[in-house]
Amino acid sequence: MKALEPWVVGPLETFLAESAARLTLLMTTSGQVVAQHGFSRSLDVMTAAALGAGIVASTEELARLMGAARFEALVHNGQRQSCMLAAFATPRGRWIGLVVFGPETSVGIVRLFFDQMVQQLAVVAPREQAQPPMLAENFETELNASLKALFGR
Amino acid sequence: MTTTQTVLDRVTRVPGVRGALVIAATDGLVVAEQLMDGVDGQAAAALTGSLVGRLVRTAEGAAMRPPAFIHLRGDGGSVLAALGPDDLVLVAVVGPDANLGLARLEMLDAASRLA
Amino acid sequence: MTDDIRGLTARLADEPGSLAFLELAEALRRRGQLEAAHKVARGGLARYPGLADAHDLMARILSDQGDLAGAFDAWASALQLDPMRTSALKGVGFLYFRAGESAAAMEHLQRALEVDPDDVSIRQAIARLGPARPDPPAGVADATPAPATPPPAVTPAADSPAEATPEEPAASGPFDAVDGGERGLLLVDASGLRLGGRLADAPGDPAGDRVAAQLAGVSREAARATRLLGLGAWHTIALESPDGHVVLTPASAETVLVAAREASLPMGRVTLLAERAARSARAWLEEQS
Repeated sequence: MKALEPWVVGPLETFLAESAARLTLLMTTSGQVVAQHGFSRSLDVMTAAALGAGIVASTEELARLMGAARFEALVHNGQRQSCMLAAFATPRGRWIGLVVFGPETSVGIVRLFFDQMVQQLAVVAPREQAQPPMLAENFETELNASLKALFGR
Repeated sequence: MTTTQTVLDRVTRVPGVRGALVIAATDGLVVAEQLMDGVDGQAAAALTGSLVGRLVRTAEGAAMRPPAFIHLRGDGGSVLAALGPDDLVLVAVVGPDANLGLARLEMLDAASRLA
Repeated sequence: MTDDIRGLTARLADEPGSLAFLELAEALRRRGQLEAAHKVARGGLARYPGLADAHDLMARILSDQGDLAGAFDAWASALQLDPMRTSALKGVGFLYFRAGESAAAMEHLQRALEVDPDDVSIRQAIARLGPARPDPPAGVADATPAPATPPPAVTPAADSPAEATPEEPAASGPFDAVDGGERGLLLVDASGLRLGGRLADAPGDPAGDRVAAQLAGVSREAARATRLLGLGAWHTIALESPDGHVVLTPASAETVLVAAREASLPMGRVTLLAERAARSARAWLEEQS
């Protein structure tokens, strides 16, 4: 498990231990990765983050069109593994969690401990400091630095 | 009143029962619930579903048919589970003074009516 | 026939489904009319199988009749229905004492004392209980009058919780000290490995290994469930299958005891057997460390 922000480590480790999730990705709504577990290739992380953020954005737009409140979570059930996407609020803004899990656990367990992780993140997050505006030329540098940190290189 | 609500009504009337719920065991999700304040239905569904799945596999390992009734006893109360058809499980969270015998009988009877 | 018995008999005749059978059977028992008491209690138990009072009453009658094995089963059923029933805890304690199992007797009496700290008879029984005492404690005898004949072992069957010889030499396996041996008992570690016992007689006991594997981490999972649901520490998990009863209980922080018996054995008795086997396993684990 790798995280860019050290305060994420504790809650995420607890979630992983309790949920038995196979893959986990925490990211901002713009697809910037905050923490990951279980991915072996940086390309997979980038792709999953982009797709996950896109799916959540589409789903939230769908909810808006329906006049409904935001969906809490989206679960795709597969034969061998399943996937949950959930957006949640943190003191650092709105994040998205992507969790892939197998039959050794259940969506109920994953959701239970994901919700607990969200509560813990809200408690341990440092008070937000003003972020400088992100410039395009800085973005790629930031992304590469993030990927290096997430893969321990 | 639906069959499920009738089932939950019967179980929650037993003295000492703090809450009853019908869960989909494999997913660990609530199908229907009737809970007192302070009983976390989401947690009860997820945790009981997980335990039921493990214990069903344990019974299979011992060449036994799936259990009809499971009782997890703690210091401060118990979780009771009566397995119904189609992956449905009737769960009750009870206090230490609950009439366990009556709860068990009601749950075994009620679980067979779930559909 | 006294007036109270006559009145209770008439009431029961008018309303066969009433709970008057409890008072009537108890009154008959106190008068020494054990056959009649047994008949009344049996009828009431058939109508109210889930009533702990009825099992408790039957246990007292059977104890008076000298059927200690039957009394044990009946009190075990009462405890299954009502785990804090002091009269049943005292009764089982008394039977363990009669079978020479002072430690088990003490444990049940202490549990009774936790439930009802004001019961003087329990304190007296605990104070008088000891390895050199041949007579049953007076306090316990008040609730469960001793049979006139010398007590046999509670039951000589393989499923009996009674130990034939409490002071056996140190065991080489976790269940060597358990009467009936290790069959139907498993000691499983947190990784799902079998430390001792066996479920079946097949070489290598593959069934025992399968069950042990499924139970890897079960103690942690059970503890998590009771903790998150506000139920404290976990004590037992009991499974009722058409093919048998299984009870799980922690033997230590890292191990779980599994007791499996045929479905005809009351769950309460399987629970008591599991607790006894867990004590034996705990002692063995301490010897190993």
